[in-house]
Amino acid sequence: MSPRLTLPAVAATVVSALLLSACASQKAPATADVAVSQAAVESAAQAGAAELAPAELTSAREKFARANQALKERDYKLASELATQAQAEAKLAQSKATSAKATSAADAVQENIRVLREELDRANSANK
Amino acid sequence: MNKTFTQKAVTPLVLSMVLALSACSSTPVTTSTLDQARSDYTAAQNSSVAQYAPNEFKAATEALNAANTAASNREDLTKIDQLASLAKTKIATAQEVARTKQAEANLASSAQEREKIRLQARTAEAEAARRNAEQAQRDAEAAKAQAEQATAATRDAQAQASALAAQLAELKAKQTERGMVVTLGDVLFNTDQAVLTSSGMATVQKLANILRDNPDRTVLVEGFTDSTGSTAHNLELSQRRAEAVRAALAQMGIERSRVDTRGYGEAYPVASNNSAGDRQLNRRVEIVLSEAGKPIQARR
Repeated sequence: MSPRLTLPAVAATVVSALLLSACASQKAPATADVAVSQAAVESAAQAGAAELAPAELTSAREKFARANQALKERDYKLASELATQAQAEAKLAQSKATSAKATSAADAVQENIRVLREELDRANSANK
Repeated sequence: MNKTFTQKAVTPLVLSMVLALSACSSTPVTTSTLDQARSDYTAAQNSSVAQYAPNEFKAATEALNAANTAASNREDLTKIDQLASLAKTKIATAQEVARTKQAEANLASSAQEREKIRLQARTAEAEAARRNAEQAQRDAEAAKAQAEQATAATRDAQAQASALAAQLAELKAKQTERGMVVTLGDVLFNTDQAVLTSSGMATVQKLANILRDNPDRTVLVEGFTDSTGSTAHNLELSQRRAEAVRAALAQMGIERSRVDTRGYGEAYPVASNNSAGDRQLNRRVEIVLSEAGKPIQARR
C-alpha cells in the first residue's frame, strides 16, 4: 500500500469503513459522501473544467451546494444522493476537460504534420 | 372450416387477456431519462469505449443496471429518473475517457509520423544539394572542355596559318591588295610553249599542297607575254600557259572549280620589253591566292 493517500482515497476509505456500520447511523456516510463530492469538484476545477466543461462543472457545484445544505438540514438521505450525483458530474467535467486537452494536442500535431508535408511537397517540386 | 372457426374464436380471447394484463401494470416501466441512458449505453457499446475505458464503462454498466432494476421493480419515478441520470453521466464519463485515450494514441502515432516526414524532408534536402553539386560540377567540366576545345581550335588555326606562311614564303609569294601572288617565271615553261618544265611542275606541286591544306581558298591563274609577235598569238599563248597550270593542279587533285584562268597576252607588262632580260620578266604566269572564303578581285 502506498503511504501517500490523496483526499479522495482517504474519503473512500472512510466511506467503506463507515458503510459497514451504516445501520448504526445515517449521518456519518452522508457527511463522507459530501466530502468526496467536494474533492471531485475541486479536482475537476484544477483540471480546467471551468473553461473546458463549464456546464458540467456548474451543475456539479450546484449539486454539491445542495448536498451541503441537506446535510445541515439533517436530510442525510437527500445529502447522500446529491453528493453521489455531484461526484459523478464532477468526474464527467474532469474527463471532458482532459479529453478536450488531449484532442486539441492531437489536432495540433496533425496540423503540424499537414504543414510539414505541404512544405516537403513544395520543396520537392521546386527541386525537380 | 374447423381451423377458421378456431382462429376467429381465439383472437378476441387473446386480446382480452393482453388488455387485462396491461391493465394490472398501471405503473410505467421506463422514463424518458432511462430511455436516453439506454440509447447512450448502446451507442457506447457499439464504439470502442469498453476497450479504451474499461473501468468507467463497468461503472456505467452498474449504474444502468441499478436504474433498470428500479424500473422493473416499479419503484418511484423520481428514483428511477435519478438512477438513470446517474447512469447517463457515467456513460458520458466513459466516453470522454475513451476519447482521451484515443487522442493520446493518435498523438503518439502522429509524433512518429512527424518524425518520419522530418526525416524525408532532410533526405530531400540532402538529395537536392547533391544534385546541385553534381550539376555544378558537370557545368564546370563542360566549361573546361569548351575552353580546351577553343584553345585547341586557336592552336590549330595558328598552326595552319604559320604552315601556310611558311609554304608561301617557299614560293616567294608577295602580298598584294588582291591577295598573295606567286609568280611562275618564263623559265618554268619551255620557250614559246605551254608545257611546264620539271621545276615548274615542282613549284605547282607546292601550290597544290597549299590548296589541299586550305580548302576554303581558290586561285586565279593569269598568263602574260612580252610584246614580241602578234597580239592574238600572245593572248592565246598566255591563256594556254594559264590553262597548263590549271591542268597540272587538276592532275594533283585540285578541283577545276577552285581554279580560274585568264590570258592577258602582252598587257600588264612588269618591265620595258626593250631588252631580252626585261622581255623574259614579262613572260610569266601570276597565281593569285584568295583570302579564306573570299572571291578574288578582278585586275584593275
